[in-house]
Amino acid sequence: MFRLLRNKYFWAVILIVIISLSIMRMTAAPRQEATVAENIIHNLYSPFQKWTGNIRGNWGGISYIFSEKRSLIERIDTLEEKNKQLSLDNQMLREYQSEAERLKKILKFKEANIKKYTLLEARVIARSPNNWYKTIVINRGENHGVYYGMPVITPEGLVGKIMRVNNTTAEVNLLTDREMAVGVILQRTRETNGLVEGLGDGNLLRMGNIPYYSSAEVNDRVITSGLSTTYPKGIDVGIISKISREPNGLLLTAEVKPVVDFDRLEEVMVIIDYIPSTESDEVK
Amino acid sequence: MMIRYVILAFLPFLAIFLQSTLFSFYSIRGTIPDLVLMFVVFFAIINGERPGTIYGFLCGLLEDLYMGRLIGLNALCKAIVGYSLGKMQGNVFKENMLVGVLGVLAGTIINSLVMLILVLLVSGFPVAGSDFLVKTLYQCLYNLLLSIPIYFWYFNSSHNGLLKA
Repeated sequence: MFRLLRNKYFWAVILIVIISLSIMRMTAAPRQEATVAENIIHNLYSPFQKWTGNIRGNWGGISYIFSEKRSLIERIDTLEEKNKQLSLDNQMLREYQSEAERLKKILKFKEANIKKYTLLEARVIARSPNNWYKTIVINRGENHGVYYGMPVITPEGLVGKIMRVNNTTAEVNLLTDREMAVGVILQRTRETNGLVEGLGDGNLLRMGNIPYYSSAEVNDRVITSGLSTTYPKGIDVGIISKISREPNGLLLTAEVKPVVDFDRLEEVMVIIDYIPSTESDEVK
Repeated sequence: MMIRYVILAFLPFLAIFLQSTLFSFYSIRGTIPDLVLMFVVFFAIINGERPGTIYGFLCGLLEDLYMGRLIGLNALCKAIVGYSLGKMQGNVFKENMLVGVLGVLAGTIINSLVMLILVLLVSGFPVAGSDFLVKTLYQCLYNLLLSIPIYFWYFNSSHNGLLKA
């Protein structure tokens, strides 16, 4: 035993373990600024990742040409059908929109529509290299005006937010990551200021803090509440797939199936000019 | 001699690059293999416990710096994997393909367990949810599959090829 205490390697190992644990502790919480070492490593990787991203993009195009003609024709037919349906829906929605705008003007509500934000398109060039973190790397960075904390969406709904930025690439934390939480409401009933959290699991989210008397039902659509300082109001998050009571009996939790397929993300959009409502109120 | 160190340093770089691009787009149920771990296991089996520990620590550190969260987590996990698999050196026939494959299996399990314990210790919540076991299982399978050709190359290379000490 005492011989071990006189061994200098033993002390070196103890020291390294303690240093590692304390650095782990320090870097456990999300940070805005990356260290020099991290930046160097990311800048080393980003050209290669961009390059493979391009190859993948082009290869997708080539294989598309070779895929069967008949399936393509079928697809065009179904799309045309869908298009007709959607343009009908659109007519109806335009009518609703003008009505809503008139009413809003009467009530002096502020415009809170996703339409007014500037979107920057980006391509997914890499993903998290391990199984526990859910992140993607996109081919836009500081040079394109991307900064920490910007929300990332697709036409289907919310994807996540920017966590780290390099010159030409940025890392996005997906909603399914354990570190993520978004303030949400139910679209149908406008109630429940719940919180949707990632589980670190492939394609499932959990919504907590629902009071037991809530009228939340399965198949209710969940959208962002605009109360968190990161995301604008009214972006689709997911659809409730299961509701269960928590052990204490006062709260409900719901499983939420996200509208975005996080395993198949290829193109995303960054909202580059969203200012949280509390701040914009002060500015005005 | 010099080229050996260059390759040893280059392998984890290549592994992280492949994991973040190729394998993450072609994952099995959202699970990707851990090539960095594989290289640490092979290095430890062939070179022993002390070099294995150091190599594991450095490879893990590279991975941690790339991911930028809980820096030191993978470094410690992989150092422990390197140490435990390095203990095997001298006691096993490295020529046997099974040694590499079973080593990777043991390494994957040790790595996952140590990671679970360390994350609980430091940040108070598990690194993955209820699917921790499922993911570890899938990763074991994926790793096993890949370890066969990679060990074949690694072993040959460290005896007659570029990785020869």
